[in-house]
Amino acid sequence: MAYKEKLQPINEYEWLLPKAVRKEMKVAGKLIANKAIYNSMEDDTIQQLSNVCTLPGVIEPVIALPDAHFGYGLPMGAVAAFDAEEGVISSGLCGFDINCGVNSIRTNLSYKEIKNKLKELVPALFNAVPCGVGSKGKLRLNSNELNEVLVNGCEWAVEKGYGVKEDLKYIEENGKMQGADPKKVSDLAKQRGSPQLGTLGAGNHFLEIQKVTNMFDEAKAKEWGITDKDQVLIMLHCGSRGLGHQVASDYLKIQERAVQKYKIWLPDRQLACAPAKSQEALDYFAAMKCAVNYSFTNRLVMTQWIRETFEKIFNKDWESMGMHTIYGICHNVVKKETHTINGEKKELFVHRKGATRSFPDQPVLLAGSMGTASYILKGTETAMQKSFGSSAHGAGRAMSRHGALGEFRGNEIQRELAARGIITKSPSPKSLAEEAPEAYKDVEEVINSVHGSGISLKVARMEPIGVLKG
Amino acid sequence: MEKYKFIEDLTSDVLFEAYGKDLKELFTNAAEALLSVICNIKKVQPKKAEEYLIKADNIEDLMINWLQGIIAIVDTEQKFFSKVEVKEIDKNHIKAKLFGEPITPELGETVVKAVTYYKYKFEKTDEGYKATISLDI
Repeated sequence: MAYKEKLQPINEYEWLLPKAVRKEMKVAGKLIANKAIYNSMEDDTIQQLSNVCTLPGVIEPVIALPDAHFGYGLPMGAVAAFDAEEGVISSGLCGFDINCGVNSIRTNLSYKEIKNKLKELVPALFNAVPCGVGSKGKLRLNSNELNEVLVNGCEWAVEKGYGVKEDLKYIEENGKMQGADPKKVSDLAKQRGSPQLGTLGAGNHFLEIQKVTNMFDEAKAKEWGITDKDQVLIMLHCGSRGLGHQVASDYLKIQERAVQKYKIWLPDRQLACAPAKSQEALDYFAAMKCAVNYSFTNRLVMTQWIRETFEKIFNKDWESMGMHTIYGICHNVVKKETHTINGEKKELFVHRKGATRSFPDQPVLLAGSMGTASYILKGTETAMQKSFGSSAHGAGRAMSRHGALGEFRGNEIQRELAARGIITKSPSPKSLAEEAPEAYKDVEEVINSVHGSGISLKVARMEPIGVLKG
Repeated sequence: MEKYKFIEDLTSDVLFEAYGKDLKELFTNAAEALLSVICNIKKVQPKKAEEYLIKADNIEDLMINWLQGIIAIVDTEQKFFSKVEVKEIDKNHIKAKLFGEPITPELGETVVKAVTYYKYKFEKTDEGYKATISLDI
C-alpha cells in the first residue's frame, strides 16, 4: 500500500495521515511540509510514521517534520509523545545518538575581518578539535570524573574551566538534565565514552564558521547578539559519541525483552519500548539523561577550545571577540513535559528524533547541509499547539550515504566549495563525499515549511565560510 | 560466492547483505562488511590479533551482538581491524580473532553508531546463510 497517497492536505503546510489508514493505528499522523517537500517525501517515511501511531499510549498526532527522511524505526525528523501514565518510553524511538545537537556561538567579528585568516583558522581548529573515527580527546577522565560529567553535565565543565557560568543560561536544560543516574549506564558505555569527551566524531557532525546573510526579525536577532549582516557565527554539531551509542544499544536489548514481558505489539523491532512506569523505562530514562549530559558537556568543552583557537589566531581574548553561546539544543532526546491536550494539561514523554525543541521565543538552531545555509529561528506558541513544542533540525537527507559515495568525489567537492570561498578540512575526503550538499533536501524548502506552518519563525540566515568535517 | 553486498535502500543509513556457506563464513563476511564501513580495510595492516568471545541466547541475536561487539571494541581498544578469523561458533557463542592496528585518523571511514534491528533478517538459503543488516551511521 502506498502510504503517501493516503495523506490528506489540511492546509498549505500540513497533511493528515488518517487513523483509518491502518487498523493498528491508535492515532492519526501528521506531516508538516510544503508541496515541494511533500513531493519529495519517500513513501517509506510515511509508513514509518504510521508504525509509531500504533504504539501504546501514543498521543495524537505523531508528527513527521519537513526534514523527515526514512531511517531506522521512527523517521529522522519526527516527534512522538506518549502519555506519562499509559504510554511508553522508547530507546528505539530516541535513536542511537542521544543528544546529538547543535550549539551556536556568536562573535563580534565581521566576514571582512576573518576572510584572510580562514586558511589559518580552519586547520588550527582541526588541530584543536579532535575529529574523525576513533578520535581521542585531550581530556583524561578517571571513573569518578566521568560519573560527575554524567550527573552534572556542563556544571562540571564550567568548574574545570571549559566554558563559563553564562554559557549554562543558554543551553537547553542549562546543560544538565536532572535525574541522571550513572549506575544505570553500563561499564562498556563508560569505557567507550571516557577517552572521547571533547571529540567531534564523524559522519554528519561538523564545526562550521558562518557569516550572517539575512536577518528576518531584527529585534529578536539583536536580543540574541546578532546585529549585523556579515557577522561571523560558529555552529557546532555533534553528540554523545560511543557512550550514548552504547547506552542506546544496551537499552534497546533490555526494552526488546520488555516488549515480550509486557506483551506489546510492535510493527518494527527497532521501536522497542517499555511501559512508562516500568523499571525498564525508568532505567533507560535515567541512563539516557547521563548521555544527554555527556553530550552537552562535549559541546561546551569544544566551544572553549574553539574560543582558545580564535584567541591564538586573532591575538585577542575571546571575551573581547564577543564569543558567547547563543544557544545549545538537543535534537535526539526524550523529555518529560507538560502539554495542553484537548484543553487539559497532561504530562507526556516527548520523543524528539531529529527534532528541535521550539518553545516560545527559544532559539531554534537548524543546521543546513555542508556548503548550504543554516538558520536560527524562534520557537512559537503555534509549535506548542501543533507539534508538542518542536520544529525541524536540519536539511534532511535525500540520498543515502552509499548513494552519495557513488555520485560524488570528496576532492572535487572540496574544490567546488573552495571556489565559493568555503574552506573545508576533514580527515578523509570520503566523508566530504558522503555529506555532499546535493545528498540533502533543499534547506530553503524545509525553512519555508516550518516558517509557513508557524512551528518556528525565521530570525537569521547564515552561510558557511569554513567547514570542519569529522 | 559473493561475501557481502551494500544495498541502496536506506536514506539515512547503511544496509548490507552478508552471505556464507556456513556460520563461520557468514559471521566473517558480515564483520568484514561492517569493518569496511568503519575503516579502509585495504590499508589497515592486520598486525596484531586479540581473541574475543561474544555470547547470545540464539543465533539471530548472536549476529547482532557480534557486530555490536566489534563496534565497541574499535572504541575500547582504539584499533582498526581488517581481518577476522572465527575460531569457534555455535548458536550461542562466537570466539574470534580480530587483526588490526592502532587507529590512524587517515584510515578512518565513518563512525558506525550501532547495529539496528530495522529490516534485520537472518535466513537459511540453498547456498547456506544470508543476513540483512542495517547500520546507523
